[in-house]
Amino acid sequence: MNSAPSLFRPFRLTNTTGTPYLPKELPWRKILWFVWLVCLVAGSTGVVQRFTQGHLPAGYGSYVPWGLWIGLYFHGVGMAGGAFALGSLGYLLGWPGFQDERNLRQVIVLAVSAMLPAFFAVWLDLGHLDRFQNIFLHPNFTSMMAFNAWMYYAFLIIAGVCWFLSYQPNRQQWLKPLLCLAALFSVLFPSQSGAFFGVVDAKGYWHSALLPMMFLLSALTAGGALLMLARILIDASADQPPGPEEQARSHALIGRLRWVTVVGIVGYFVFEFAEFSVALWNPYLHAPALELVLFGPYWWVFWVVHLLLGGALPLGLLASRWRLGWTISALLVALCFLSARLNVLIPGQAVSEIRGLQEAFQDERLRYIYHATPMEYLVGLFAVALGMTAFVVGRRINVAAHRWLDPRSKD
Amino acid sequence: MSMTRSEFNRAAVLVGAGVVVTGGVALKDRRPREPRDPTGPATARDLKPLASVPQSDNEDPLLRMERELARAMAKPVEQRKWVMVIDQRKCVGCHACTIGCVTENHLPPGVVYRPVVTEETGEYPNTKLRFLPRPCMQCEEPPCVPVCPVKATWRRPDGVTVVDYDQCIGCRYCLTACPYGARTSDFGRYYTEGAAAGAPTGENRPVAGAAPHMAYEETANNELGKSWSRERHQSPVGNARKCHFCLHRLEEGQLPMCVSTCIGRATCFGDANDPGSLVTELVARQSVYTLLSHKGTNPRVFYIA
Repeated sequence: MNSAPSLFRPFRLTNTTGTPYLPKELPWRKILWFVWLVCLVAGSTGVVQRFTQGHLPAGYGSYVPWGLWIGLYFHGVGMAGGAFALGSLGYLLGWPGFQDERNLRQVIVLAVSAMLPAFFAVWLDLGHLDRFQNIFLHPNFTSMMAFNAWMYYAFLIIAGVCWFLSYQPNRQQWLKPLLCLAALFSVLFPSQSGAFFGVVDAKGYWHSALLPMMFLLSALTAGGALLMLARILIDASADQPPGPEEQARSHALIGRLRWVTVVGIVGYFVFEFAEFSVALWNPYLHAPALELVLFGPYWWVFWVVHLLLGGALPLGLLASRWRLGWTISALLVALCFLSARLNVLIPGQAVSEIRGLQEAFQDERLRYIYHATPMEYLVGLFAVALGMTAFVVGRRINVAAHRWLDPRSKD
Repeated sequence: MSMTRSEFNRAAVLVGAGVVVTGGVALKDRRPREPRDPTGPATARDLKPLASVPQSDNEDPLLRMERELARAMAKPVEQRKWVMVIDQRKCVGCHACTIGCVTENHLPPGVVYRPVVTEETGEYPNTKLRFLPRPCMQCEEPPCVPVCPVKATWRRPDGVTVVDYDQCIGCRYCLTACPYGARTSDFGRYYTEGAAAGAPTGENRPVAGAAPHMAYEETANNELGKSWSRERHQSPVGNARKCHFCLHRLEEGQLPMCVSTCIGRATCFGDANDPGSLVTELVARQSVYTLLSHKGTNPRVFYIA
């Protein structure tokens, strides 16, 4: 055999030839600014609505208490954890494209930028915005929510210290050890997100030991895709086109993340198949939440958004040699894996343990049906704009800090 | 991995410490806690209900329960064990308990402590209706308590699970954890939203337009022995809310509102630690069942079917 199939061809650091990841003739920087502006302006109307009218324009109620914002929250923290775990692992293991401190700082900024909108979404979901600090002042560690919140807190501090140390060549002996700890936390909190639901015995659909694993795998998959997308967009929107060495690094990083994403998608669907097939194998078994996922009013979220756009299509594109396809896949996975969260979150709540409860006292907030409202979608757009803002600001801080903190820059 | 030996050692220590601290923190709050509510003789009440009503052998169950309530309240709180027994054979599905509860606790739209579920069995024309009032089950192992991230909900020494509205952040985790759907969130709505408001003077008299809501909906309730006003969206707006067996009424020697309003005497309430109480008698003599017993929550609301 003269040449191995492209799927199994070993990756080469110097391989910088081939089609571009994005069409070079398009003004990517302007396009990104436009996307940001649209998200910001449209999203602001939703945020204003939330602050002036409270929860009234939202679609969730007491029987389905969590909606789109909680889905966004878990997706955001999952991507943050996944991106950081991969970026730090790549740095520690010396993967091509991952080894330099500049990339590590970018990974930290990306993780924080994915977390901020997640925190924003969950904050707006609270009944008392002014009491969010209670979770830090009076935590109850039997609650996975408090445990999770403290884990983010610890992670952010350690990641911040790692970011600082990455500028300090004299103190590098602490960087890798601390990075190991941060990597551990970044793996723990997406898994805990699964445990967050798994520990709720009241919901049969959630009460599964597989859920933490599924959340971790989807976090690594979506986080890897986000990392890949960020690198492609940074290169495409740079003032100066990256030099050959920089290009080689990007190519190496994207190549590695491409396979991580492929393995992640396949792994996630294997886990999902295991979960679903066990529940549905017995023809007499009644699994109402699963039936909702597969054939309920939001069947298209599973079949179209999750399976087709978040799974089959990215897999096909990533397996090809078409690099623009890899970019599209990264975007699709980063966006559509939100459906993996929503497919756990909503159907789990939409089934009553007591038959007839919905009819017992009729009210629009006492229904086992949930439809996200325009306000919820608009706040979601604002969260995206917030994440983009945080990433741009973070990158600028990276550059500024380089001048101030890195003694090598003063030479 | 390009790590030196000392880096590896440091990493091992840090990761080990991280795991130990995380595990320690997880275990910390699993230890039994001191009761948050006052206990002891100071919690006993000297109530004299029905002093002018002579006791008789076949008196109304409501009168009997009121006397038993006074007896129970004379004991310290930790010696009481509140239990509710609902006889579905007597329930006519009138929803008086639901409405009584709404008025007693000033519940807004979408917040309900005691809905009555209608169960229809059989096939037409051989059908049968049965009613299932569903208050909070006051579980002995309440799944809503450990999930609260801020310790805003706990089980009192008398077995009633309560919420501290001043502490609750409104995350609604407890709502998802309750298998009975017994917790609802107060989203800040009013029954009289957009109600016609009268104008005292002017050419538009008698109607000045629509009011945001009528002022009486903001009058304070007395849940958990405290006055809670909904004015300016204060707690309990934004909180998780639930049935509390009308603790504020018990303190005054009054039965929970759902018991007082039950026209069929289907709902009984009392102290299970009192061997002579009606509820003890019913639980011992009748074939009782609890809702979703497989969930292992050990409810303190029993049903007679």
